[in-house]
Amino acid sequence: MFAVMKKELKSYLFSSTGYVFIGIFLLLFSVFFYISIFSYQSMNFEYLFYNGATILTFVAPVLTMGMFASERKSGTEQLILTSPRSITSVVLGKLLAAGIILVITEILTLMYFVILKCFGDPSLKVALSTLFGFFLLSVAYLAFGMFASSITESQIVAYFLTAGAFLLMWFLPDINSNLQLFSLISMFEKFPEGLITISEVVTFVSFAVLFILLTIVVLQRRKSVK
Amino acid sequence: MIEVKNVTKQYGDFYAVRNINFEVKEGQIVGFLGRNGAGKSTTMNMITGFIEPTSGQIIVGGYDVDKKPKKVKAQIGYMPEGTPLYSDLTVKEFVEYMADLKMIPRKERKEAVQKAIQSTGLEKVQNNLTKILSRGYKQRVSMAGAIVGDPKILILDEPTVGLDPKQVIEIRELIKSFGKNHTVILSSHILSEISQICERVIIMDKGEIVAVDTPENLEKTSTKDQIINVIVEETEESKLPSIQDSISAIKEISFMEEKEDGSKEYKVVVENGKDIRKEISTTCAKSNMIILEMKKQETSLEDAFVKLVEGRPEYNQKEIKKIQYEKEVQELREEHEMKKQEKAEKKAEKERKKQEKKDKTKGGDA
Repeated sequence: MFAVMKKELKSYLFSSTGYVFIGIFLLLFSVFFYISIFSYQSMNFEYLFYNGATILTFVAPVLTMGMFASERKSGTEQLILTSPRSITSVVLGKLLAAGIILVITEILTLMYFVILKCFGDPSLKVALSTLFGFFLLSVAYLAFGMFASSITESQIVAYFLTAGAFLLMWFLPDINSNLQLFSLISMFEKFPEGLITISEVVTFVSFAVLFILLTIVVLQRRKSVK
Repeated sequence: MIEVKNVTKQYGDFYAVRNINFEVKEGQIVGFLGRNGAGKSTTMNMITGFIEPTSGQIIVGGYDVDKKPKKVKAQIGYMPEGTPLYSDLTVKEFVEYMADLKMIPRKERKEAVQKAIQSTGLEKVQNNLTKILSRGYKQRVSMAGAIVGDPKILILDEPTVGLDPKQVIEIRELIKSFGKNHTVILSSHILSEISQICERVIIMDKGEIVAVDTPENLEKTSTKDQIINVIVEETEESKLPSIQDSISAIKEISFMEEKEDGSKEYKVVVENGKDIRKEISTTCAKSNMIILEMKKQETSLEDAFVKLVEGRPEYNQKEIKKIQYEKEVQELREEHEMKKQEKAEKKAEKERKKQEKKDKTKGGDA
């Protein structure tokens, strides 16, 4: 797992992908930060992450679109899948690397908290609860993105499949209030209120585990249909 | 070392590989020969565990690929067709990653990586990104990834495709050197390559094994009848076809052409591959005919291949022509690839020089 993680992390940091993700996320986050302070006179760090979730919808697929699609297209998946490493360790290694980029980004968002702290008194507990919820939401997104990348060899298809699914999740509660149960965004909204409930945590983790397993199944199955 | 038993790979109604059986012994260099789409790569991919067979069993080093894939994969170094590499890694990083994937213990990893780099002659370019390398070097990098950790078995899929003649010779020598300590399976559609490198040849066609033998035996069996070309100065009384009465092994003598000096060329067909050149010589001498030249026609692996393919019931002349056409296309492709590669090499050279300049200026600044 760590062999793949190390290599993926290197690829993120030595190619533009990692910087595009971190750069675009922080740039847009700063824009929302600016608007929130100067237009709405809001000093809430946690509410910024509602906008963060919107940004994530469009930038998280950047991290995941190439995970398996590019390997499949370039043929390097043969190198991984003919090695003694298990498919599970390859899948987890890739997810872990993307997760680390995500954690780096989250840590960098703390600078906005520090700025707010200089001028006001934002709650650290609520901020941490928000960051925790945002991390869970991101991991669930990454797991889905990885799955999308495993079913196609086109990175563009993988991107739109992932972003499209996330957008759909946004509008699920508007279509039918019962569908709110399937909207990760609706579930995330409780974290910026300082609430960490078991049901939300379990849903996020289950969602991520489901798509990790599906990715493993897809890769395993390709051996017999390839 | 490798046993393939009744293996079939089916996609719907299409058989990529149909009920193949063969064995590869330890230390052998075995070549898969066949046209594009013959089932060579599918067979190799099944041995490596990349593809699952629809039915049948593959045993590598005593382990079933299906039941103990990890044990099998740990014994194999695989170089896929088309040399897929990670463009954002340097040569050294790529080989290190392969070593890491092959679970080579940390203590031995550094040494194993250096050994692989050295034996493939990549020391000079080990810090270059793989994307700026020429095709020949890319093949070497891919090969270094396969041999790192000294696996018992090497599987090389079309290792010389797209290389210029000089690079082809270098890669062949490299493969031969690996053959001393490894079991090597390689695929190619270039007949001369297989006959030069391999001890045994497996000829595949349309997903089936057509023949398994040494290149020499295949060449011999390609024709039962031996052909001898004879250029002779005849007399008024004696003509070459008359020797057919004295030598019973001669099946047929046919006139080819008359030379400018009046001598005549004949094609003598001899039964069961017997060498009767001595008899021809003495019989001609008795009849006062002077033999100016006598040459046994050598049969090649190419003859064997065409004969085997031609002999198959489902093949017709159209398909034989297709083989020849494909060969011509392949040659044109190789020529095109060579030109492309020359361009790429020039570009890579420029990049390298740029890099060197940069390094120098950095060094100067420091």
